[in-house]
Amino acid sequence: MKRRTFLGGAMAVAVVGHGSSALAQQPPIKIGMSMPQTGGLAGGGKASLLGIEIWRDDVNAKGGLLGRKVELVVYDDKSSASETPAIYAKLVDVDKVDLLFAPYATVPTAPIMPFVKQRGLLLMGNFSFQVNSKVGHDMWFNNAPWGPADSWAASFLDLAQKAGGKNMALLTADQEFAQNLALTARDVAKKRNIPIVFDQVYPPNTVEFSSIIRALKAAKPDIVYVASYPPDSAGILRAVNEIGIGDSVKIFGGGMVGLQFAAVMSNLGSLLNGVVNYNTWLPEKSMYFDGTKEFFDKYTKRAVEAKVDPLGYYLAPFGYAMGQMIEAAVGATKSLDQKGIAKYLRENEHKTIVGPIAFSADGERKETATLQAQFRGVKDKDIEQFRSSGRQVILFPDKLKTGELITPFEAARN
Amino acid sequence: MNKRSHSIAFWAAVAVFLVAVLSMTQIVRNEYPFFAGYVILQFIALAVAWSILGGYAGYVNFGTNAFFGVGVYTAVALFKATGAPLAVQIAAAAVVGMTLGFGVGLLTLRMRGIFFSIATIALAIIIETFVMNWRFVGGAAGIQIQRPPVTAPFDSYVKMLFFVQAVLVVIAVAIARYVQNSRIGRGLQALRDDELAAECTGVPTLKLKLIACMISGALISAAGAPAAMYLQYADPSSAFNLSYSVSALAMALIGGTAHWIGPVLGAILLGSTQQLLAVTISSEVNVLVLGIMLVLFVVGAPKGIIGLLRPRYRLRAGGKQ
Repeated sequence: MKRRTFLGGAMAVAVVGHGSSALAQQPPIKIGMSMPQTGGLAGGGKASLLGIEIWRDDVNAKGGLLGRKVELVVYDDKSSASETPAIYAKLVDVDKVDLLFAPYATVPTAPIMPFVKQRGLLLMGNFSFQVNSKVGHDMWFNNAPWGPADSWAASFLDLAQKAGGKNMALLTADQEFAQNLALTARDVAKKRNIPIVFDQVYPPNTVEFSSIIRALKAAKPDIVYVASYPPDSAGILRAVNEIGIGDSVKIFGGGMVGLQFAAVMSNLGSLLNGVVNYNTWLPEKSMYFDGTKEFFDKYTKRAVEAKVDPLGYYLAPFGYAMGQMIEAAVGATKSLDQKGIAKYLRENEHKTIVGPIAFSADGERKETATLQAQFRGVKDKDIEQFRSSGRQVILFPDKLKTGELITPFEAARN
Repeated sequence: MNKRSHSIAFWAAVAVFLVAVLSMTQIVRNEYPFFAGYVILQFIALAVAWSILGGYAGYVNFGTNAFFGVGVYTAVALFKATGAPLAVQIAAAAVVGMTLGFGVGLLTLRMRGIFFSIATIALAIIIETFVMNWRFVGGAAGIQIQRPPVTAPFDSYVKMLFFVQAVLVVIAVAIARYVQNSRIGRGLQALRDDELAAECTGVPTLKLKLIACMISGALISAAGAPAAMYLQYADPSSAFNLSYSVSALAMALIGGTAHWIGPVLGAILLGSTQQLLAVTISSEVNVLVLGIMLVLFVVGAPKGIIGLLRPRYRLRAGGKQ
């Protein structure tokens, strides 16, 4: 509204009055999505949604898109793949939303990919993994920093090989995300002639890891690549703490889900030290871009009320960035034509609070911006420590690097 | 005579239902009703199939999700291996479900009551773990499926699936109705009330239980088979989701298990409420609403909706005669 009034200042008062009343009657731009608000993915879903809501409030405070207010239409998909087809059909056919955002994570997103492709609709992806690789939709853009499928394992193995790692142990959960990571890790290891000396897949509800860690230790690996889910990530680190992992291990971690969330981090405390793990955003000086600090100021305040992750590094800023990209594309094309928006998103680099984003043909990032960071000097039971820099030192990518790997793992633990 | 006129009324209603569904797919252009309607029809089929074993025989099966997932993955495996058409996928799922039902039926030799229920949960976990490690169908990571082109007279695949699921509902209801009114149904009722007494009076309990398990299993798996094409994606945690078991059971109980119409009513009520809540309240509250509904029915109408309706229904029927 402010900008409108300001622009209108050049015009006659009567015209301004007339214009603003006409604008007030314009229908809002509706952005539709489902979001896991119950079930296993709810913790992430709610944080992601808060990020998107902060963007909505910011953009509306600036006068909206094309002079129209932005409104979100959000339904709960219960973290399940079976709920999303009906929800997206409702969003498109009944609610007649103007634009679509995908739900957080791969499983709820997968069933709507063929749907948006058939209908020729733009879909902004939200942290799903390789969901477009088989569908090949050219109007899909993922906000996650993953990049090419193999970059995740490749970056970890780069660090490991630099530290002198020559063979690898794989420990992975028998679940969708972890298995995707394990597949690429095996491929990359094969290409680089890194022998896999230990390859253990454990069932999702495993709580006791001491026998697995003992077996892993006996294989004397240099590199330990772990792809696990929140409860098991904690179980694995506890077992490692009790049993030890041996002096041969140069680097430990890689794909442990859960170590990005405040509750898990503060719970594990000093057990985290030395672990090298993926992340998406960290409070290191290389990670601050235009608007990043302001975003987290708002997030920190609203997270308490929304009862979501108090840190919110992992998902929330990317939800905001998703909105920023739409804002830029709609602003540049001056329309809601989805083909035009998709063309703009594909051909340009976008400035966001999580850094510049450029897409490759498959709608994933051109280059990976998935961080590999090492936990250092973490104390027990203190969430606030994770807000300061230096607790998670970024080792990869080089552009964002804030430190060097401390190796071997046992030395880094202290 | 009375029985015959009942039969005519039933098949006339079935014909009207199928014609209505078919014309709906030809007339309605908005696709959302078909997406939501498919899910409701799927739950009707599941609830009716569940009640053949759970209602008539009183063996509470918590493994609906096992049969459902088996249906989904039979379709996925068959489609991936041979590109088989939908009808073949469903038929194959029914056969596999029936075989699995035979296995579950054998369990009833030694297990009753709560122990049988626990065994069926275990069955679901075992099969899910197996599928998670079966790379051909995507394993734990799940698998995306490309639908083949739609068959005439339908102009979209979802509309076709909606019709197919309606046919499956009709098949499930017709079989449930037949079982209920036949020797099988009376035998099952006898063994539900007292298995030992039934056995002593010459009711072939094991044979009946095996039949009930096989029919119920085949129908649940058949109802699950089109889900692969509906979602165009299958992953073990969604296909073997415990919510299928809980929903099928809740729908049958809310509707009432003494008559085939009970699960149908329960599934329509609960299924529509679920679909409606998913796009209105859409938060934790919707789980709460379903929970409260279940508690209210268990307390207020222990015999389900048909328990509430029956006395009136009987009076009227009695008055006419």
